[in-house]
Amino acid sequence: MKTVAFAFALLIGFAGQAFAALQVDVNQGNVQPLPIAIPDFGGDAASGANIARIVRADLERSGLFKPLDPKSFIEQIKNVNAAPTFANWRVINAQGLVTGQTTMQPDGRLRVDFRLWDVYGESQMLGLQYFTEPENWRRIAHLVSDAIYERITGEKGYFDTRIVFISEGGPAKNRRKKLAVMDEDGANPIFLTKGDYLVLTPRFNPTAQMIAYMSYIAGKPRVYLFDLESGRQEMLGNFPNMTFSPRFSPDGNKVAMTLENGGNSDIYVMDLRTRAYTRLTTDPAIDTSPSFSPDGRQITFESDRGGSQQVYVMNADGSNQHRISFGGGRNGTPVWSPRGDMIAFTKQDRGIFHIGVMRPDGGGERIISNGWEDEGPTWAPNGRVLMYSRTLQGGRGSQIWSVDVTGRNERRVLTPGDASDPAWSPLIQ
Amino acid sequence: MRSSAARLEQTGSPLGVAVAVLLHAVVIVATLFSLQQHTLDIADEMPMVPVDLVTIAPKTNVMAMAKQQPVSPPKEEPVQAPTPEPAPPTPSAAQEESAPPDASAGPAPQKAVPQIVPKTKPVQDQKKDKFDVNNILALLDKRAPSASSAPNARAANRNVKGFGEQTAMTADLSTALSSQVQQCWSPPVGAPDPRKLVVDFDLFLKQDGSIAQPPQLVGNSAAAAASDPYVRAAADAARRAIYTCAPYKLPADRYSQWSEINPFHFDPRQMMGQ
Repeated sequence: MKTVAFAFALLIGFAGQAFAALQVDVNQGNVQPLPIAIPDFGGDAASGANIARIVRADLERSGLFKPLDPKSFIEQIKNVNAAPTFANWRVINAQGLVTGQTTMQPDGRLRVDFRLWDVYGESQMLGLQYFTEPENWRRIAHLVSDAIYERITGEKGYFDTRIVFISEGGPAKNRRKKLAVMDEDGANPIFLTKGDYLVLTPRFNPTAQMIAYMSYIAGKPRVYLFDLESGRQEMLGNFPNMTFSPRFSPDGNKVAMTLENGGNSDIYVMDLRTRAYTRLTTDPAIDTSPSFSPDGRQITFESDRGGSQQVYVMNADGSNQHRISFGGGRNGTPVWSPRGDMIAFTKQDRGIFHIGVMRPDGGGERIISNGWEDEGPTWAPNGRVLMYSRTLQGGRGSQIWSVDVTGRNERRVLTPGDASDPAWSPLIQ
Repeated sequence: MRSSAARLEQTGSPLGVAVAVLLHAVVIVATLFSLQQHTLDIADEMPMVPVDLVTIAPKTNVMAMAKQQPVSPPKEEPVQAPTPEPAPPTPSAAQEESAPPDASAGPAPQKAVPQIVPKTKPVQDQKKDKFDVNNILALLDKRAPSASSAPNARAANRNVKGFGEQTAMTADLSTALSSQVQQCWSPPVGAPDPRKLVVDFDLFLKQDGSIAQPPQLVGNSAAAAASDPYVRAAADAARRAIYTCAPYKLPADRYSQWSEINPFHFDPRQMMGQ
């Protein structure tokens, strides 16, 4: 009996303790980049230090990470397969730690191992191993960055991507505009055209292998396709009048674009396999800048049918056309986020051009860029970051800038010379 | 406690049972700790996922879709002689008129961006009733209908250990802990669905305010974090905040009130303008 009483008393004691648990609600935070330590990767291949340097730069550029200065590290990572002494990394306030090593395989391939550690939780968050040709070390670095970014943020990374843009050079009266491609971090810029004719609005297809753009090659503005692998370009359709503002469908099989006819611009869709085209808008106003939703079922576009340039949405067959931008000013160049949750656009209000985002139903409008003339947004493939053209006041040239969808981390993208009209590639696979 | 143990001693076998239970518990706890220590040292037990990257052309990649392209015999249009033409009718942002349209949105671009400045949670529970002598009758009148429950509320003896101990006086502790941890909490606010970022933890603290054992996800959060990368990222961010801001400064004499926090509720929706 006494034993039962004792057990009961114990039970009551536990129940009492559980009952006393304190409830705490945390509703406000302090958004800061994550302090992360990324020592040079060890091993017998020389690329270890280079890979770590690129990973640090990638993560820093995202604005979501703060790579710590390697000079502050008090522990030397010698073996990627041994757990680090976490206390040594807590001392320097690192919350994440990346250890890695590179080795040359007997078959001549480069092997890169890395682990991401939770310094406070003292556990491994991620461990990956890559095999590739040694020349691809830079791409491997971007893939490592993508993997870390995805594990920490829950979203796919975007570092292993490319940007197509218009590179501008020469005197103000005779600007030469060339079609150019570079890696997302500005490395490996390549000029695809020589600048003998004007090129505008380049766009990647979903495999990042083909670029659609508008050019004045034959004297009239027309949409062309450029195959990156073969270097070949071809005119898309043989229309009597000008075609412009091309954009691929998410499956890559169609291109939506604008055809001008007798002063009336309308949106058409061309099937790339059959070259058959369908007219989607018939309004006498200017309808242009089509962009597909990621599921391919809807298209957002701009139109001045209501008296001023505004953003509209319609079904992919042209039905149910309705205006969604009601936030004031003129709004154009809409681009649907690859994530599907937002449409980015250019807002022109009182002579100033800003980049904004809103939901596909027109709600939740926010302005996220700070320039004097920012226009032509393009989304990173994860729908988290935007790039756009910025024209400097007083005709001092044009630049490419990027900003997080939250409006934070606005920064210039390094380009060779002046640049405009960026378009982000999908993730390279 | 000592007297009850003494009494148990007299009965003989129940004490044996109690001691056996205790010893078992000690062995289990010791095993857990030693196992945890062991796994941390052997990184080999944490597997690396091998990714074999086949040769990548420096310029681009060959995709299945690309092979489908030649289905329609392309009209081979050789590149024509380039003839630049002035006055390009830029389709997108060209048409500029100076007439200002409906002017509601002022040039305050950052206005709509979600507010991130950390704010201390307002203390709601600090309002003390003003005791008004003239109003005392009215006060009594209001309490009259529920008079039967009133004695219960007042009878709790704060000197008695166990449940009921000061439980009504913990709002200040919640606020204190919340305001400390929010300095370290950087939730992934760019995620598409803010509802996925709400997570709950169970946390045990030591008397010095440090963490007694790793915080555990509770409720729906635990299952969701295992399957949804956004929830997992949100849970990781909250866990990092709990660790980074520790040890917590809380009144030691009221330790029994904050030894366990459950739920430790992290909800960034306000920060995201939801």
